[in-house]
Amino acid sequence: MKRNSTPELIPDKVNPRLPGGFNVPPFGIQQTLAVIIVCIALWAVGAIWLGVQAASQWVGGWQDDIHIHVYLDSSNASQEPELRRALEAIPQISALRKISPEEAARWMQEWLDNAGLNQKELVNRLPITFELSLNDEQSEFLFDDIRDVATRHGGAVNESEVDMAQAHQWIAQAEYLAWFASLVLALAMALIISNTLRMMLLARADEIHLMRLMGAKEWFVRMPFILEGMLLGAVAGIAAWILLWPLLLGTGEWLEMLQVDLKMWVLLLPLLFGGALVGAFGALVATARVDSGEQAG
Amino acid sequence: MQQLMLRYPTGKVALSGVTLDIHQGQFVYLIGESGAGKSSLMKMLYGGVRPSSGQLRVQQIDMREAGEARIREIRQRTGIIFQDHKLLFARTVFENVALPLRVQGWKTERLIPRVRKVLEYVGLADRLWSYPEALSGGEQQRVAIARAMTANPSIIIADEPTGNLDIETASRVLDYLMDLNRQGTTVIMATHDLHLLESHPGRVIQLHAGSLAGGDL
Repeated sequence: MKRNSTPELIPDKVNPRLPGGFNVPPFGIQQTLAVIIVCIALWAVGAIWLGVQAASQWVGGWQDDIHIHVYLDSSNASQEPELRRALEAIPQISALRKISPEEAARWMQEWLDNAGLNQKELVNRLPITFELSLNDEQSEFLFDDIRDVATRHGGAVNESEVDMAQAHQWIAQAEYLAWFASLVLALAMALIISNTLRMMLLARADEIHLMRLMGAKEWFVRMPFILEGMLLGAVAGIAAWILLWPLLLGTGEWLEMLQVDLKMWVLLLPLLFGGALVGAFGALVATARVDSGEQAG
Repeated sequence: MQQLMLRYPTGKVALSGVTLDIHQGQFVYLIGESGAGKSSLMKMLYGGVRPSSGQLRVQQIDMREAGEARIREIRQRTGIIFQDHKLLFARTVFENVALPLRVQGWKTERLIPRVRKVLEYVGLADRLWSYPEALSGGEQQRVAIARAMTANPSIIIADEPTGNLDIETASRVLDYLMDLNRQGTTVIMATHDLHLLESHPGRVIQLHAGSLAGGDL
């Protein structure tokens, strides 16, 4: 069996495992358990961000098509020109269009067709309607301005449409919560990896003590554990990413119905490097106070 | 070392007013009752503890002022043998003996011939891939000697290396240390086995209650 450049010196069944430096300690049951737990936590983080991505796409899908309708009762018809001018003066309104009775009748005909009702009478009772197209629905006081203008001229705004147009705020809040949950889970993951490595360090206390007595540099002593922490996190990250696929496939029809196309590849690198980063952080915490009593200095 | 004093954080004074010189190439026995300060003095020689006052220079390095890097340098040039030999039982003889050179960055391929050579010297070349638990007490101590000498140290510090061995095995361990000393290595050895001083003569420094007792014998 060929192992290195001097294979004749190492018997077949012997595999020298020299400690320190870039040699990662052997993988044991504790590390496997840590990978499983961190994988579950990273899976939860991935699922949260997939949800945010889906919600963002879903809202974005119809938000561009939203128009706000402002109604003016026919009893206030004299206010129509001034209302139009005041609405046009709002900079975030890119276009303003008055819905003609013919268009309203056509739309109602389509809507009421199967009900067998006569739309003409209803159309005659409809208020004067302006359709507003917005160029920046995230502007802070836009809807307050529209509401003020409409009220001042005896009109009213379709509040349901306003709520829908402001859905980006829900997404922003969801993203904030997702970041918070990710941070809490990251800390928990770092703690688990740190705890696992701490057990490894205790098991190898004699070895670490000896290496220090022999003049090993601190990075040489700590590096295997930091590498192990990174490896644990990275392996858990990849496993979590793979385990997110069943979730995506299981909800495929539902997502398709919502016209949401989730990009799983976007999550691969964040889970991989996020896991490795959390692992490295946990390892740094674990090795920060490795004291063998006879450190150099 | 001059007027060397060591006081532990607990307040216990381990050494007080110790003044002596040990030159390169000497074989020095440190003797004295338990608690006399032998182990403390040896620990100070490799930077395990720092002197509280006085002066201690090891291989031109002031051990009171030395930074971590200088202490590491000293340790890389020092072989340490313990009474309980402190072998790693989960690792092979090769891995144990290779450790001092491993921490200096040697690669496995380069380590094997070197470790084989030092194990040949202590008569254990055929045990390269054995685990320490398969060895007798004397063999384990010879592995510890091999580990201490593998990096060609200029000084070997042995803290009662024969403490757990029978007379014959202890004598053989001393033979190895004497031989290393003849090759130019300074050996400082703490011992209670006074009979060894007759069969393997060397400079004797006696400590009593943390001070030199009656000077060199």
